[in-house]
Amino acid sequence: MTTPILEIKNLHVKVEEEDKQILKGVDLTLPAGEVHAIMGRNGSGKSTLSYVLAGKDGYEVTEGEILFMGKDLLEMEADERAAAGLFLAFQYPIEIPGVATMTFLKAALNAQRKTRGEDELKIPEFMKLVKDASAQLEINQDMLKRPLNVGFSGGEKKRAEILQMALMQPSLCVLDETDSGLDIDALKIVSEGVNHLRDANRSMLVITHYQRLLNYIVPDRVHVFSDGRVVESGDRELALELEKKGYAEFDGTAA
Amino acid sequence: MEQHVVKLTDAENQLADLLQAAGAADAKAALTANGLPTRRIEEYHYTDLRTLLREVPANLAKANDGLPSEQFEDFSRIVLVNGALVHADTIDGVEIKSADVARTVGHDQIINLMDGFAQSQIEIVISKSIETPIHIAQVHDGANSVAASKVNVRTAKGVEAAIIETFEGSNESGLRFADFAMDVAAESNLLHIQLDQNAKYARQFVQNRYDLHEDANLRTLVTHSNFQLGRTDIKADFKGEGAHADFGGLNLLVGQQHGDITLNVNHGVPNTTSTESFKSIVRDRAKAIFQGKIIVAPDAQKTDAQMMCQGLLLSERAEVLVKPELEIFADDVLCAHGATCGELDENHLFYLMSRGISRADAESMLIKAFLAELFDEIENEQVHAKLENRVDAWLAAAE
Repeated sequence: MTTPILEIKNLHVKVEEEDKQILKGVDLTLPAGEVHAIMGRNGSGKSTLSYVLAGKDGYEVTEGEILFMGKDLLEMEADERAAAGLFLAFQYPIEIPGVATMTFLKAALNAQRKTRGEDELKIPEFMKLVKDASAQLEINQDMLKRPLNVGFSGGEKKRAEILQMALMQPSLCVLDETDSGLDIDALKIVSEGVNHLRDANRSMLVITHYQRLLNYIVPDRVHVFSDGRVVESGDRELALELEKKGYAEFDGTAA
Repeated sequence: MEQHVVKLTDAENQLADLLQAAGAADAKAALTANGLPTRRIEEYHYTDLRTLLREVPANLAKANDGLPSEQFEDFSRIVLVNGALVHADTIDGVEIKSADVARTVGHDQIINLMDGFAQSQIEIVISKSIETPIHIAQVHDGANSVAASKVNVRTAKGVEAAIIETFEGSNESGLRFADFAMDVAAESNLLHIQLDQNAKYARQFVQNRYDLHEDANLRTLVTHSNFQLGRTDIKADFKGEGAHADFGGLNLLVGQQHGDITLNVNHGVPNTTSTESFKSIVRDRAKAIFQGKIIVAPDAQKTDAQMMCQGLLLSERAEVLVKPELEIFADDVLCAHGATCGELDENHLFYLMSRGISRADAESMLIKAFLAELFDEIENEQVHAKLENRVDAWLAAAE
């Protein structure tokens, strides 16, 4: 059997310098080439899981482990995780004034290549990559000249995230509520961008509130998240059932 | 002048002797009566010179033909060594000459020292627009010495010109003064930039004075980075309606450096506008000060002045002290000031790192981004590149 892209084992996480436990024993295995959805209500710990995967400071893993292609993910810094092939599409992409989007894209791609011991991209090569990938996401070149995410609409920010994902060709894509703030047209463009990246060697973890996104990005498996753990797993029918019955049926809060 | 007995420090006595030797008896008398500015004088509140200037050089700088190292390709060049004019390119439409110094004595002892130590003043008259910028290289050459320069620039109506000054020094712990005055004629469009490239232990006091006439336009930028102790005193006076100026400045400090930029802008007539943008980045135990005062005279209606000072603290013990002030005596004006001070944003750092950029590179990107708006307005590529190189070198030195 091949090594899964991601294995989360009994993961317990709390906020640093606070007693509040957020993740309380997450178990999840994501085989290569599969798309799994995580659904859960607000505050169930979904976004914390995405931040812990990406390596954000401020969280303490108190128990459990995360293996990324068989390696201990928690030993790696955020930039090393990116170079190793992990990508988090942010729910709220960060605006960074003064850093032009193109400058950032080039710096990020070359930093990853450098960490992997590859040569830097030549400028024409880089330009072509960006041009091709942005055309598919209907991103115009003017947007790329602006400072990173500054003044981008909600839809533009999400498309810029997927553009980065397309350029970086990660092994694991974590999509944190990529559907939030998108109208139907933008949702379609973004979903097509994501589907285009589906590949036998690439896995995706799609975090969402709503089943709507899963009509576009059809998952292989669905996990229901509640109070810091996975309480139920199933195929895509589970998402439909969840939509019908509500979260209460699944997390034991039903009357 | 108020006369009272001050017990002078060794440094003050030394400076008094040097003023005597420089032939500035009036400045000596004023210093002896008052001593150097201390924290009790409002303008020097954060830069107490009785404490900070405890050691002063033993000698006046001598005439010297030391040459500057800073080069700008194709710029016209004027070289001042220890305040004396040693070279001036022939520039069409520009007259450059050295004249006898006109000394005045006032309440500010540092300005008195500046005038007292100057042995000549350089008069630059620009009578028509010049396409290539003028580079004034100010070299302070001579071990452990005191030198002062005075430069007066006048322009004809409607002239466009750019002046880039560099401060350089071969000696380690020198003390230098530089006075720069520019009369910004009606309808003229001028740029004045000062880049300091001093030696590490230099102490430097600069005064920049600008008079702005009708429909004049001015942009300035001061950089503080290469010295042990530095203060730049900027005084601008709006004298003609329709004039606009953008004042900019940067303290980029590390170690135990102390940099003070003090700005006074006087909107004395109606319908004038200005922006003031000052940034500080400090590491280790460095201290950056910005004091900015905008005064709007009673009949200066429709003044629009926007002042912003921003500080970036890269170490726990570094300090940024800002004091923005508005004194508004007119009732129909638009004036604002703002001050921010903080560390690099952890969310910004995480976003960049989550894309594979190392922490050190992410920090550098954010520091450059912080400075971008200050440099973006400088259109000359060579000057822009010099500014960026300076920041790169500063960042590299810290790694």
